[in-house]
Amino acid sequence: MTDTYVELHAASAFSFLEGASQPEKLTERAQEIEMPAIALLDRNGVYGSARFHTSGKRNNVRAHIGAEISVSSFGQRLTPPAWLPHQYMAEPSRLPVLCESREGYQNLCQLITQFKMREKTKGEGAANLVDLEQYSRGLVCLTGGDEGPLAAALMRGGEEAGREVVQQIIRTFGQKNVYVELQRHQEREEEWRNQAAIRIAHSLKLPVIATNGVRYATAYDREVLDLFTCIRNHTQLDHAGRLLALNDRRYLRSAREMQDLFRDIPNAIRTTRELSARLEFGLNDLGYEFPRYPVPDGETMDSFLRKRVEEGVIRRYGPTRNRALLEKAKKQIEHELTLIAKLGFAGYFLIVWDIVQFAKKHDILVQGRGSAANSAVCYALEITAIDPVGMELLFERFLSESRGEWPDIDLDLPSEEKREQAIQYVYQRYGELGAAMTANVITYRGKSAAREVGKALGFDHESLQRLSTLVSHFEWRGPTDTMAHSFQNAGLDIQHPRIAKYLDLCMRIQDMPRHLGQHSGGMVICRGQLDSVVPLERASMPGRTVVQWDKEDCADLGIIKVDLLGLGMMAVLKDCLELIPEHYGDKIDLARLPEDREVYGALQRADTVGMFQVESRAQMASLPRNCPKKFYDLVVQVAIIRPGPIVGKMAHPYMRRRQKKEPITYPHPSLEPVLRRTLGVSLFQEQLLRMAMTVANFTGAEAEELRRAVGMRRSWERMRNLEGKLRTGMTANGIDPATQETIIQNISSFALYGFPESHAASFALIAYASAYFKVKYLAAFTCAILNNQPMGFYSPAVLVKDAQRHGLRIKPIDVQVSDWACAIEHGHNGSLSLRLGLGYIKGLRKQSAEAIWESRSKHGAFRSVEDVIARIPLLNRKELTLLARSGALNNLGGVQHRRDALWQVERAGKLEGPLLRHKVELLLEQSAVSPLKQMTTEERLIADYACTSLTAGKHPMAYHRDDLQQKNILSADDLKRRYDGDYVRTAGCIIARQRPGTAKGFIFLSMEDETGIANVIVTPDLYERQRLVVTGSKFIIAEGPLQNQDGVIHVKATRLQPLLHQSLEVRSHDFH
Amino acid sequence: MSTELYACLYAKEFPAQALLRLRPELHGQPCVVIEGNPPFERVCSLNTKARLLGMTLGMTRVEVDTFPEIVVFLRSSQSESDTRNVLLECAGAFSPRVEDCSEEGVFLCGIDIQGTRSLFGPSEMLAHSLLERVRGLGITARVTIGRNFHAAVCLAKGLPQRIPIKEIAPGEEAQHLAPLSLKVLDLTELQAETLALWGIYSLGMLAQLPEKELIARMGQESKRLRQLARGELPHLFQPVEPRFTLEERMELDSPVELLDSLLFVVGVMLDQLILRAKARILALASVTITLSLEGGGTHSRTVRPAQPSTDKQLWIKLLHLDLEAYSPQAAILVVTLLAESGSTNKVQLGLFSPQVPEASQLDVTLARICAIVGEANVGRAVLEDTHAPEAFHIEPFVIPSGNPAVITPPQSRAAVRRLRPPERTSVTFQNSRPSTFYFRDQRYCVEHAYGPWFSAGDWWQQILWAIEQWDLVARAQDGSVLCCSLTRNPMLNEWQVGALYD
Repeated sequence: MTDTYVELHAASAFSFLEGASQPEKLTERAQEIEMPAIALLDRNGVYGSARFHTSGKRNNVRAHIGAEISVSSFGQRLTPPAWLPHQYMAEPSRLPVLCESREGYQNLCQLITQFKMREKTKGEGAANLVDLEQYSRGLVCLTGGDEGPLAAALMRGGEEAGREVVQQIIRTFGQKNVYVELQRHQEREEEWRNQAAIRIAHSLKLPVIATNGVRYATAYDREVLDLFTCIRNHTQLDHAGRLLALNDRRYLRSAREMQDLFRDIPNAIRTTRELSARLEFGLNDLGYEFPRYPVPDGETMDSFLRKRVEEGVIRRYGPTRNRALLEKAKKQIEHELTLIAKLGFAGYFLIVWDIVQFAKKHDILVQGRGSAANSAVCYALEITAIDPVGMELLFERFLSESRGEWPDIDLDLPSEEKREQAIQYVYQRYGELGAAMTANVITYRGKSAAREVGKALGFDHESLQRLSTLVSHFEWRGPTDTMAHSFQNAGLDIQHPRIAKYLDLCMRIQDMPRHLGQHSGGMVICRGQLDSVVPLERASMPGRTVVQWDKEDCADLGIIKVDLLGLGMMAVLKDCLELIPEHYGDKIDLARLPEDREVYGALQRADTVGMFQVESRAQMASLPRNCPKKFYDLVVQVAIIRPGPIVGKMAHPYMRRRQKKEPITYPHPSLEPVLRRTLGVSLFQEQLLRMAMTVANFTGAEAEELRRAVGMRRSWERMRNLEGKLRTGMTANGIDPATQETIIQNISSFALYGFPESHAASFALIAYASAYFKVKYLAAFTCAILNNQPMGFYSPAVLVKDAQRHGLRIKPIDVQVSDWACAIEHGHNGSLSLRLGLGYIKGLRKQSAEAIWESRSKHGAFRSVEDVIARIPLLNRKELTLLARSGALNNLGGVQHRRDALWQVERAGKLEGPLLRHKVELLLEQSAVSPLKQMTTEERLIADYACTSLTAGKHPMAYHRDDLQQKNILSADDLKRRYDGDYVRTAGCIIARQRPGTAKGFIFLSMEDETGIANVIVTPDLYERQRLVVTGSKFIIAEGPLQNQDGVIHVKATRLQPLLHQSLEVRSHDFH
Repeated sequence: MSTELYACLYAKEFPAQALLRLRPELHGQPCVVIEGNPPFERVCSLNTKARLLGMTLGMTRVEVDTFPEIVVFLRSSQSESDTRNVLLECAGAFSPRVEDCSEEGVFLCGIDIQGTRSLFGPSEMLAHSLLERVRGLGITARVTIGRNFHAAVCLAKGLPQRIPIKEIAPGEEAQHLAPLSLKVLDLTELQAETLALWGIYSLGMLAQLPEKELIARMGQESKRLRQLARGELPHLFQPVEPRFTLEERMELDSPVELLDSLLFVVGVMLDQLILRAKARILALASVTITLSLEGGGTHSRTVRPAQPSTDKQLWIKLLHLDLEAYSPQAAILVVTLLAESGSTNKVQLGLFSPQVPEASQLDVTLARICAIVGEANVGRAVLEDTHAPEAFHIEPFVIPSGNPAVITPPQSRAAVRRLRPPERTSVTFQNSRPSTFYFRDQRYCVEHAYGPWFSAGDWWQQILWAIEQWDLVARAQDGSVLCCSLTRNPMLNEWQVGALYD
């Protein structure tokens, strides 16, 4: 192969606005042009290297790893001469380096970490000569293209300066590790630098090497690079001038093109092959080691873990006094511990245990989930509250020797604050360079793309605002849902050339990386130095470091991570665990909640507003059908109403089988043991693994690869390859093509959101706990959930109305009794009621509320409006108005109604100057009675919703009931008594609008009135006709035939009309 | 009782009315006025016909285009200001005291008609004649009359459309105003919010609030609002003062074709302008001459010397040179001179400062050059920040500030002689490289070819550009050597010799 050429200097979009192609595109293009290897050198990082490596493997292209390193010691990078007008900013020149060996890679990572951790503003850091000398071993250095130090030196001081720079590089990296780089982009200015470089190389006896300084895969992508250049420099295409590329020649060129270009210097092409052969390092040789847990002397990690587990077994199973269960548990634990020891995962379990211990010590509720979490060992270690032995939930996918997969445990924590506490603990325990957050690559999506492209094309601010709000959030992408269509709807002419180009560019930069964020909770931990595995940098949040790879990249390269996630419902449960003993006197243990008929009854009736995971409209529509009777039913319920099973057409078969409406069958007899528990329907990822292993003889590792592939958005292609393999395997096992098709369909439907059984079990436990608390301790549950907003599917207004329908008395905000948070109050007859907190008044500062509370507890109740103002000078006029308007001042002396309070507040807020103050008789008001009229019911409602987004009074619909009844409009409760097929009219306040991707453009409206929630189905047709009513109206009358099937009630709307025209600021949960 | 008496003239949808005023033929058609930068224009005003079709303010251009046979105008502030002047002038015919209270999109003026009874009859009759005059000008408006200026204004703003004339009988102000919405008051956001919270929605409700208590809550400003609502707020009339514009307009008795006769007239007009400017210790900074031509055309030129001047001869000379270079294409009917004023020359020359050409003489010289080569070709050439070839623009000469930057070329390079215009040629190729070409009737064989150099840009524009260049060393049959740069426009596949190297 004498005619090959290897591109050793390519940058991807992970050079953040300095490259215009995804790493995958580069390797794909390399494969197309039969390039055997390619090197990725992104700016100051290896952000794209994991994806580059993985896609290189897939496309059979060797992926060399390197980076362009900003070096401050080599002066500024090349800019056009001063006599030419240009807008280049001063930036340090960048030195391209390639990793020859693992040592080189580790040095590169440490080098990047070193200067990244130093940098004060993101992206501004640069290495210096000392750093380079410290970490030069194992790295090969090129002299760079126009961003490099040689070009800058030549321009600055001619050939002499150029030679000096190269000599400096030789001193740092060694004579053998420096190549003089030549790039030919067919720009005239470049060639004299090339000629000078050749002379320098000759004089210093260095090899010359040809590269193309690639910035994009194909010439067409130059447009994207120009666009990015504008975004990076905050300018517009029309004004960017010389910042833009001179031509489109920085694409990945074939060997033939490169040979033509360098026909006068053939050895420059030959050197690329030689250097490529020299670069032994690939990312598969990362050298990552499992974390170790520090154990006391004389202990191994295995023995230490065994002791902790044994203690746990006694703690967990001892109180049950069930000998058989204990024996069974011990047996299971022995099995798990042996496996853990064999695979060497003891350290991992101990690290998670350690975090859980920390949380317990600091009064943080924590619950583990993930493949390894639902094991007896984790139950014993109190990582989860799920007893897999007692509940008979022994999962297939705990750990497997053959699958080569890492254990996976996610920890759910109550809130941001508590989560941060746990994260800081991990940093502190493993050191700044031993643990870091995984990154989250922020990419250009609809809205951000629309904005940035619009700016670059010079659209004015107002148009930009309009354009970016246009980009729809709808999940469903129907035939009329294209960007083009929404532009047209907004009155834009897509034939206009600028608008057409705008649309084109918006589409092209979708999913391109924009900058690096941090993942909300994924942490990677490494034994020793994490910074020699992957570069670390500072996160924008103080005290945090981030690795340069995201979660999937880390998983691809086998780096173990622990997810510390904030889960609002955990905070609710935590609050409940405090409120219930205080107000009800009952002791609660989450791990031992009783199975309760009343709770299952509520679930079966779909009376689930506020309950974790089972409160959505789709869940409510399936609960009466699935009729959960025991914990495992809930595990299935949590997993089944998800896009995966719905797209895979598995949700409905399961429901029918559960209702005994169809027989239980299996796609193939061999799958019966795998699918028995879910009635022959595959629902869980674990089943997917087992299916692939059973029907297609996949090895554990292959099945694991399949699971990973279907779980990721970006792996459709990998999925296709595996599909071929799956079919071959099934054919070999004599499975007929039709069955094969069914099985493949089952598996690929997981591509959207596969759900592991072990996650489902953990979620089901939280779901059951939330249901249990809501049914048994409504006041505590409502109080807790209102105090932890925003969370869940419904707004506080809906939660309050739901609690009221269940008999809880909700008392309005009152400055005489309310605190910042909602609280439980005891009535004379022992009944409990809920007092809304001052925190629900939008715009009232927390410190003001605290001042109210403090003054009340020190000096007793307030006497009048003036007393409030005199005692709490912190309250400003706006806050006083809010308090008055929301009715919180109604219980003060001398206040008759809200308007009266408003009248008084305005007066009291404006004191006279000292000159007039003693002339009291002049200031006396003629009448103590306010001249303002009391608010009407409607005005009061408007005030309630405007101030607090909810009302403690009657539901807005209740005031119209008589009128509605006369017009034969039914309430949600009335609908339950109508028959399937009846033509009905109903009305309510829209609390949720949904257009699920799985529903072919159908829209589901949830409508609430004072009696409950009704569901309305809007066909795509009706939506097109009545778009404004569906998306804009807050109160709607819907009419059409009633669907009443298995206790699930929907109105299939044939006509919609807006109901009330009042300006209630009712919020709904739309299209999420 | 107050003896004051005011009429208020109110015209809504003013941008549309202003444009339609001189287009009576369009009165029966739906018309909208749009404003904004294309393609994002929005409707800012419309006539009743358009409103009846379902069009609303704020619609986009594309939405407008979905209506058939709609007449669309771009908003014209000139026509609005002209119309406003016409209306003010019209109002001025009824009283010397006219106050302009126009708001965005609306014409509104108050007229002090106290004591006009003997001239125009009772106030209602005056209102009728005023409306008639206004209608004659092509504008639909409404007139309200009252003894309180603000009451008349509020009522004009708040009346339903069908009532063209309304007179408030003395003492009935509050009664007439009571049902009106608070919108007629131009409340601040805070005032509007407070009153809404109090459940105060109309002027009547506001008028009912006790004064002292109201002031204690909303400040002195609320006293004014309450008085307004009760029709009691006194008004300090602020008559419009004619704007100071240096404009002279002369309709010629007969069409003029000769420049000399025109300049005679211009001289007289300039005398006037200079006199008026001098009276305010100003000079003329620029003069725009607008000529209405036979056949409906106009010809407009602006002359702006380096410094404002009151030298009539200089102005005559500059205008003469300019009109010679850009002479009107038809006979002249009307001449309008519009001058901008500027401060007089304050530069004081030092005794020992170097002698510079006198500013006015330099202006005349430059104007002479401009007249020959065109305005766009006089000044200094400035390179533009773009890769596009030949991109430069001409900037007018300016007095440099500070020291010029010393630019030293980084190294010596070969000199290039650009051929302007480039000369076309034909080229033959061998192995994708130029081998022979013709230049100035000679055939050249290429000995060394460097290139091709590519550049291309403006891909987001409708007209993009691309260029391919080769640097060649070629030898003619007679042995002479030619070093040149060949360029190709890939769009047209056209070869040219663009430059020669020494």
